[in-house]
Formats: sequence, C-alpha cells, structure tokens
Amino acid sequence: MIRIFLFSILFVQVLFGYNYNSLLLKADATIFPKIMLMDKKIKNKLIDNKIIYTIVYDQCDYETAIHVKEYIENTFQKYMDRYPYKVDLAEFSHLSLATKASAFYVLKSSTENIKKAANIARQKGIISFSYDINNLKYDLLFSLVIENSTILYLNKEYLHTNNIDFVDSLLSMVRFIGKKSI
Amino acid sequence: MQKRKFESLSFKIISSIILTSVVIIIGIFLSFETINKKAFYNVELQKAKLIVKTIEPLVAIDIYLGMQNKMESIVKELIKNKDILSVKILKNDKLIYEVKSKNKYKSLFIITYNILQPNSKKKIGTIVLDYSNHNYEQLIYKYTKLLVIMLVILFIISALLSIYIKNILRPLRRIARLLQDFSPEKKLKIKLMKEDNEISLILSALNEMQEKIFDFASKQKDINAYLEKEVDSKTVELRKQLFIDDLTQLPNRKKLFNAIASSENDRALLILNIDDFKEINDFYGQSVGDYILIEFAKELQYFLKDEKNIMLSRLSGDEFALFFQHKPSEKSFMRVINSLTKEIEKMVFEYEQNEIFIRVTIGATLDSNEMLEKADIALKLAKEHKKYFLLYDKKFDVKRQYKENMEWVQKIKSAIKEDRIVPYFQPIFDAITQKPVSYECLIRLIDTDGSVISPYKFLTIAQKSKLYPQLTQIMLEKSCQYFQDRDTTFSVNLSINDILDVDMVTYIQKCIKKHNVSNKIVFEILETEGIDNYVEVSSFILSMKKLGCKISIDDFGSGYSNFEHILKLDIDYIKIDGSLIKNLETDINAQIVVETIVDFAKKLNLITIAEFVHNQAVFEKVKLLDIERVQGFYLGEPNRDI
Repeated sequence: MIRIFLFSILFVQVLFGYNYNSLLLKADATIFPKIMLMDKKIKNKLIDNKIIYTIVYDQCDYETAIHVKEYIENTFQKYMDRYPYKVDLAEFSHLSLATKASAFYVLKSSTENIKKAANIARQKGIISFSYDINNLKYDLLFSLVIENSTILYLNKEYLHTNNIDFVDSLLSMVRFIGKKSI
Repeated sequence: MQKRKFESLSFKIISSIILTSVVIIIGIFLSFETINKKAFYNVELQKAKLIVKTIEPLVAIDIYLGMQNKMESIVKELIKNKDILSVKILKNDKLIYEVKSKNKYKSLFIITYNILQPNSKKKIGTIVLDYSNHNYEQLIYKYTKLLVIMLVILFIISALLSIYIKNILRPLRRIARLLQDFSPEKKLKIKLMKEDNEISLILSALNEMQEKIFDFASKQKDINAYLEKEVDSKTVELRKQLFIDDLTQLPNRKKLFNAIASSENDRALLILNIDDFKEINDFYGQSVGDYILIEFAKELQYFLKDEKNIMLSRLSGDEFALFFQHKPSEKSFMRVINSLTKEIEKMVFEYEQNEIFIRVTIGATLDSNEMLEKADIALKLAKEHKKYFLLYDKKFDVKRQYKENMEWVQKIKSAIKEDRIVPYFQPIFDAITQKPVSYECLIRLIDTDGSVISPYKFLTIAQKSKLYPQLTQIMLEKSCQYFQDRDTTFSVNLSINDILDVDMVTYIQKCIKKHNVSNKIVFEILETEGIDNYVEVSSFILSMKKLGCKISIDDFGSGYSNFEHILKLDIDYIKIDGSLIKNLETDINAQIVVETIVDFAKKLNLITIAEFVHNQAVFEKVKLLDIERVQGFYLGEPNRDI
C-alpha cells in the first residue's frame, strides 16, 4: 500500500520531470538487482564487500530516484542475496569514474548523459541497466519492457565486456538487441 | 544279466546341444533381463533428470525474476513429451504451477529436483516431474521380443542341427544292423561311402577286419576238423585203454564187469591165479614176470581160440578170468578146467636160458549171481586148502565170514582208537613156593559194553588186516609202563612178524629203554615160527639179550620141536605147550615128552614153565615132573591188575 501511495505521488512529480511508468520502475527495481546478481563476476564489483547499486538520475528525477531506492530497499532487506548492499544516487553531472558503483540504474536523461553513463559503466566494467529501452542504443546493457509479459533486453554489442559474465540461463531468456534494431 | 538300455548317440548329442542352448538362452535372458531392465530404467531416469536439469535454470530464473509466464510456456512445452505425465513447480514448498499430461500411461518414477537461485546455491523452489513408463515398457517389450526371436531361431537351428547330426550318424546305425547278420563264415557286403570321413574309415576298417576274420575262421575250421579227428582217435584209444589191459592186450576187469552186467543168460566164471607169482617176480625180476604174463595170456588165447562162448580177460596182477557167456553144463565146464589145467602144467616159459614152470589155482562158479565174488571166494578157499580147483558152493558161507571179519576189523580199529586194548596179567607161579614170580601179559579187547574179549576172537583178523603190529606196540607200551615200577618180571608175546619187522624191533628197544625194564622183560617167541626164520630170530635174541632181556620159547613141544635150534639160541625159558600139559595126569605119551623136555632144559639150565595147568591133578603131576614154574587157571587167571 505504501508503495502504491508513493508511486501515486510520483505521478505528481511527472509534472516536473520525465514521465515514468511506475509499474516499469517497480519491475526494474525488482528485477535489475537480481540480474546483477546473475553476474558470475559480481564479487569483482563489490566495494568494501558490498554491492553499491547506483541510481543515476537527472536532478529533476531526484524524487523518482528516491522512490526507486526506497522500493529497492524495501524489496531487498539489507542483503541482495548474501551480499550487503547500498543504493546510491548519483546525478549525471557528478558521475565519473570515481563514482563507487557495482551497477548503474540509469533513469531517463539526455543522450549525452546517457552516453556518459554508459561509457563510465563500460570503463568500470559494471552492468548498466536502463529504464528506457531506447537508451540501449547508447551502449547501456540491460533494459526491461512490460508487454504481454516481461521481456528483458540485452545489448548484444556490449555483452562481452571483460568484467561481466552472466549465467547461461539468463542469456537464454533475454532478447538480444542491436543498435540498429532499437 | 540285465539287458542294457539302448542310448542313441545322436539323441545324446542333440539333446546336449538343445539343453546347452536352452541353458545359455535362459541364462542370457535372465541375466540380461535383470541387467537390461535396470539399464533401461536408468536410461529413463537419466533422461528425466536431464529434462529436469535442462528446464531447471529457466524455471529458476523465472521464479527468481518473478516472470512466471516464461515458466509456464517452458513447462507446457515440456508436457508435450509423452514420457512426462505431470510437472509441478513449487516455490518455497508451495505449489505455484502444475500441469498434467492427458496420456494414460503409468508412472515409472517421480523426480524431485531443487530449483536453485541462479548463480547461487540457495534453493528457491522444487520441480516435481512424474515420468511415465511408456518408453521403458516399450524398450522392455522390444528387448524381450528380440530374445524370443533369438530363442526361436536357436531352436530352429538346433532342430536343423539335430536332423543334420542324425543324418551324419545314420550310417552307423546301418552298419550296426548290417553287422547283426555277421558270421565268420559269411562275408557281408559293406558298401563304402562316397565321403571320406570317420565313418568311411570305420567301414574300411570293418571290411578289412571281416577279411581277416574270414581267413581266421577258415583256418580255425581246418584246425577244428583236425582236432576233432584227433579227439575221435584219442577217444577210441582211450576207450580201448579203458577196457583193454596194457600188458596182455586182453580185456580188462572193467570189460569183464560190463560183459557180466550186460549178459542176461545163465553164465559161469572161473578165475585162475598163478601160484607164487610174487616169488617169480622177486626172483627173476619184473620184466620176466611181465613176459610170463604176456606169454601166458597168449597161451590162454590159443587154448580158447575155438571157444566162442568163453571171454578171456585179465583181472589183475596174476589173475585171469574165463567168462562163460552161456552157462555150460557142469560136465563140459569141468572138461574145460581139466584141459586147461593140463595145458598149463605143460607150459614152459623160457627166459634167458631159464625154464620157468607155473602152477595155477582156480576158483569157479556156475551161479550167475555175484559171479566175481563167488569165484573169488572159491579161489581163496582153494588156496587155503591147497587145492588146484574149487567150485563155489553155497555151503561155503564165506560171505558171512567176510562180513564178520570186516566187523572185527572195525572193532579192533575202534578199540585201538579208543584205547580199549589192554593187557591182562596172568601170574606164573613157582611150583614149589606157589608164589607168583612172573606175569604173562595177555592181550584183551574191552568191548564198548565193557565186556572183555579174548584174543582168539580177533588176533587172526588183526594179523590179516595188518593191525597186529599196532596191537603189539600197545601191549608192549602198556606192559612196560605197568611193570616199570614193579619188582617182578613180566613176559610179552612176540610174533615172528614182529621180530622180522625192523621198525618193530626198534620200537621194542626204545620202549624197554624208556621204561627201564630191560632186566624185567621176557619175550615169548613161538617155537614153530622160530624154526622157519632161525637167522632173524637168533639175531633178535642176541640184541635183546645184550640189553638184559630174557627170552622164552613158547608152545614148546607142540610141533616138530627142534632141540638143535634151542641149543643154538640163547634162551632162558621153555614154556611147555599146553597141549602136553592139559592131559598130563592121564596121557602117558605126554608125560614122556614132557619129561624129555624137562630133562633137556635142566641140562641147559633153562627154566621150564608148564602152561594150561587147570586142576589139582595136573598141578601135582607138574610138580612131580620137576617143572619149575606153573601157569594156568588153576592157580591164577588173567586179570587187569596183579
């Protein structure tokens, strides 16, 4: 109920930031961390022995980011699997290689910001999740679409990143997508 | 002997093959049944596990990510497999999805597989897969079918093999049937086989064997024929020998028996015995004896050449028989005997410048019953009475005598065996003091009923049956034993045969030495016997005297008493014969003879003893005649003990 209420409030924010589908956000918040845990090299991405799930947002999407964070924290009580975690928020403007993150969850933003986030993620060798599937063409790795069923999309061009190795079963259920098909 | 059961070789081979095949098939069937069933089961199990393993990651992601629609599609796709009866997905032990197949197969097994969180060992759910037996049953069925087909094929092969083997072995049966008609004299046609194998080898060998057997049988036949001939010839010879006397070639005793037995007519028989033939043999030698017999036989044959009714045979040794197959009249019978006797008297047998004459004694019978026995009795009696011929008469009753003699022989033998020959002792008294100074040991036979039998009843028989020496030995042993510790002399009677018997003399010497009675014993020797064998008696007396024994001449005066012999023999006593003593008181002649003897004896310092003193009158007379010793029932009868 609280979640519904909070997400309802989100719609108010829509007036002031990007439009977000609460259901999608919920799905992202639930699924993306789990996908992150399907990385066999997750241990390489731990920071101080914990997962830092960083939500990257524009300033205008701060509330959305907060809500997503809260939802994640409500969903995953202190641990993601057996790893302690922390959900960080990072604005696009402050995002750099120094930003501590085990994975990025990138909300909507400008193309430039999206590219920046994708670039940093790639350089850091971490998974980048995108709220918007269109952002996959800017080199983000994962996105999720809710159609008749939930469909995971994976940017196949950046699948073979050195530091990322997903379990095979994940790869068997995602849809691979290329820049040209987005 | 129990007939052996026929056990066909082909049957044995075939049944062995079948049995082995069946055992192998059953073995394979059972072992593979067990192994393959298990293998098939495992295969299905592995398949099921593989299916579950394959879908588990997909289901795991779906459950993990909460995207159950994927899971449903996966499971629905899975259930299309005919082998899967149902799939259940449980999340935290709670059923979240289940799908069942519409097929009607039975469950083979249920697999439960944990759903693990992707990239983690954490269990997030369970897949329960119910797997059908459809494929398994099909596999089993196919395999069983295959085995059954194999079995059928194997049986067919065995059947064909059996037929083939039977065919191969058929020639053996044929050979066996053929050989049943085999005979060494008849060759069988054994057809050789076209194939060159073991059976053809057997056939070739059989043919060869047949040839050899045939040759052998032919030779055997010839040998058998020859042997048969020889046997026949030998049989004739033996038959001849059986009935023909070797020496004289006359029919023998057996032939005579047969002739007598087979004749149903009234018959007659005479037996002639060559007198003193033993002496002729001993004097001239056996070859001369044989020569005489041969020549005598020839002479007899010649004499009887015209007498068709008479069968001449040689009975034994020096005896011949003339068997009258038809009984002649007594007159003509006697005519033959007389003629024969005269003819025999004329016979001269010349041998190396010696002319030998023979005499015969003839015993005959005209009685057809027991001819040989009666003729033999007649012959013996003729010899006894020193006649040249005697015709058997019923009055002879010799048979009874023979029977009695045989009974006595048996009695004597039993008595010897049962120690019932005992000495009885009759005292010899001094005529003046009328005290016993010596004892004569007289033999007695104690019958089985305890009665005492006098020697006159059995001594003659004992002599004839050659039991006499045993009696002498018994008497000697018992008498010596009885008197060895008694201080008196005793006398024992010895016959001339005892004295002539070297073994007996040795026995006497040993006996008297053993009992140490040399100085006590007196040997009484019959005077009459002594005359005939003076040298032997003299030698005996000499040897006994050396031992310290005394000698008495018994029955002196009974025959032609030879005083000269008495002079030469170193004797000690003269026992005057009882025949002179028993009537001494009345017989003047006896008195004269006795006086002479007593006088003679005194001159030689010989002691005289009168026997048979049976009454007072005789006793007085004996004393009057100055006879020193007296023996007789008047003074003392023989007793078991003194």
